[in-house]
Amino acid sequence: MENNTTMIQMDNIYKSFNTVPVLKGISLEVKKSEVLAVIGPSGSGKSTLLRCLNTLETIDDGTIKIKDEYLAKSVDHKAVYVDKKAQKRILGHMCMVFQQFNLFPHMTVLENLLEAPIHVKKMAKTEVLPIAEELLRKIGLFAKKDAFPSRLSGGQQQRVAIARALCMSPDIMLFDEPTSALDPELTVGVLNTMRQLAEEQMTMIVVTHEMGFAHDAANNVIFMADGNIIEKAPPQDFFNNPQEERTKSFLKNMLK
Amino acid sequence: MHSILNTITLMLEGTETTLQIFLITLVLSIPIGMLVSLARLSPLKPLSWLMEIYIWIMRGTPLMLQLLFVYFALPMAGIKLSDIAAALLAFTLNYAAYFAEIFRAGIQSINRGQYEAAKTLGMSYQQTMRRIILPQVLRRVLPPISNETINLVKDTSLIYILAMNDLLRVARTIVQREFDMTPFMVAAVFYLIMTFVLTWIFKRLEAHYGKYEV
Repeated sequence: MENNTTMIQMDNIYKSFNTVPVLKGISLEVKKSEVLAVIGPSGSGKSTLLRCLNTLETIDDGTIKIKDEYLAKSVDHKAVYVDKKAQKRILGHMCMVFQQFNLFPHMTVLENLLEAPIHVKKMAKTEVLPIAEELLRKIGLFAKKDAFPSRLSGGQQQRVAIARALCMSPDIMLFDEPTSALDPELTVGVLNTMRQLAEEQMTMIVVTHEMGFAHDAANNVIFMADGNIIEKAPPQDFFNNPQEERTKSFLKNMLK
Repeated sequence: MHSILNTITLMLEGTETTLQIFLITLVLSIPIGMLVSLARLSPLKPLSWLMEIYIWIMRGTPLMLQLLFVYFALPMAGIKLSDIAAALLAFTLNYAAYFAEIFRAGIQSINRGQYEAAKTLGMSYQQTMRRIILPQVLRRVLPPISNETINLVKDTSLIYILAMNDLLRVARTIVQREFDMTPFMVAAVFYLIMTFVLTWIFKRLEAHYGKYEV
């Protein structure tokens, strides 16, 4: 599945919120077309890790490289970010899907998809429109293109949020607990859309509590606790033969 | 009959002054209020403090005192304004402060996730404010803006102390001259018509900007 190009490299990432350490020297690598699932108890730092990747949070120390370009570099135990212009270019490779969807409520479904390609990438509307409509067909919501987000179910909103991110044609998709705010029966559609994306070789980091998704769709699973990566393994090994005590007890609790 | 027509003609002239002050103040104070609220929320602390002091003074002293200050005190400092300019300056400064606080509340009520979504899509701060945040703020602040706007119609009557002939002052003059209370009734009806029209306009605006809500 995955090839050898490194898409994301994080080395020795440290991050504190008001002197409370949240990430304690995290390192990880994501290859092209890899699907990495990040699991762990709440407060383990997994969402923060994801948010540090796209500068929604800034790191205190460490190095972040996206597609061979430095986003931040560790100099004398302090992270130094590249200038704003370079940041914007590098961050353009990634898009994010949030737990709370964060669709723009005053815009229709279609307008949500068109907004960034037209105003950020300066694409012509005639150019984006077929792409957006194709994406909406793919997630099965073309009929809702003129509806406002408030008219959609949570699951539909989250699929639109995924389509909105894909409309920017990113190389990497970050998912921050994409199904945690949904009723159980609504998670299926969202997870199917994500599985489809994985089959299309999208590079993905997925912070999730969906063990089924991590098991069948991910190439690698990371278990985080207290700001550290406790264990990393392909899903078969991770779920069938966890090595660390903390992973074992976490999995045991999850499967109760 | 003649005197009633005469009264109404005089009062329509007063209404013109009232509407003039009202409209110009509104057109000036809303955008200024918007800018003040953005400055008040600015990460530049001195700018934010300056706006806080301005808002504190404007809300903390009577509008009547502010009118008197602009009208009587500024000329002593060598700044001479026409009656109407003095009234407009005082009203605009005062109402901009109130509007600024309404906009600030509106901006702060927008979920952080909206900024984050815009940022991860590559939008700049200006794009985020103009295209994502402010349209939603506008919808939320319409009811309190409507409230302030209706207050403004009635507050214009304070210009009587600057000896300007607004609707209420004209009415009072006639009442005192003719010992007839009718002009007060007429004035009340005029104010009610103006606030009725405003209420209707704001209802339409709320329906228009709220069409995305369930």
